[in-house]
Amino acid sequence: MASTAGGEGDPEFQIAPMIDVLLVLLIFFMSIASTAVNRYDPSIVLPVAPDAARKEDSLGELVFNIAWKPAEDIAVTFFEERIVEPSNLVAELSKRVAADPRVRVLVRSDGETPVRYVNVVVEAAAKAGIAEVTFAAVLR
Amino acid sequence: MRTVHTSFNDDVGFQIAPMIDVVFVILIFFMALAAQIKIEQILQTRLPGQAVTQEAVEFFDEQILQISQDGEVALNEEIYDAGVRGALPSLTGTLIRLKAAGDAAKSRVVVTVISHPDSSYARTIDVLNALAVAGIVDVTFTTGEEP
Repeated sequence: MASTAGGEGDPEFQIAPMIDVLLVLLIFFMSIASTAVNRYDPSIVLPVAPDAARKEDSLGELVFNIAWKPAEDIAVTFFEERIVEPSNLVAELSKRVAADPRVRVLVRSDGETPVRYVNVVVEAAAKAGIAEVTFAAVLR
Repeated sequence: MRTVHTSFNDDVGFQIAPMIDVVFVILIFFMALAAQIKIEQILQTRLPGQAVTQEAVEFFDEQILQISQDGEVALNEEIYDAGVRGALPSLTGTLIRLKAAGDAAKSRVVVTVISHPDSSYARTIDVLNALAVAGIVDVTFTTGEEP
């Protein structure tokens, strides 16, 4: 009686599916490391807020990174990869609001930063007419 | 005299092995990069702004939350969770009740946070976390320097 099971029983290593899997993994990890990473300063140690909400999207997000320099006793505010004085940004922020009313401000600051530096950013947002102000934190 | 001719084939074709090497290196790079990424959460607030309405607007009671330089938190001049670092359980409970009372009365609960300019941002985040637990998003900020 002839056997219906074909094949040699010991298949060779197939390179094509391996490359497929490799490329899928590559695309996955590239998408995780999105362009948004460039706007975030990884050196900033965010404060802990166990009940903070998950961020749904980054649309219209204006990110302010506030880095606390304890040695110099000052905080430096970065906006779009440049050092800024937030009070001088009201006109620019107003233009952003005019272009897209959905914009919102995201404040990323070291936990040890004196709150006066954060308030300047919030004040600039308020003067520019941006009502949505969010604060970045980590769960633990 | 006999000459030796060595022939080279110029067209070696597509080499799969170096491509896999390169793809592996890129993959490892992005995997290492992904391991560095921390998932960030947000505390959302809504600042008061100008609104044009066609109907009369009911006024709401404003709650004042003060944060002193040493991190002491007071709601309407009553100190909560004195000496506690991090979470503010007593304040959170009060804010939850405040929000429930506001919802029952169908009135907005608006909280003004007055932080001392030299208080730490982390303490303000503790307060915002308590507000988030209570579901209060209408928050305004005032610095202690203002008159």
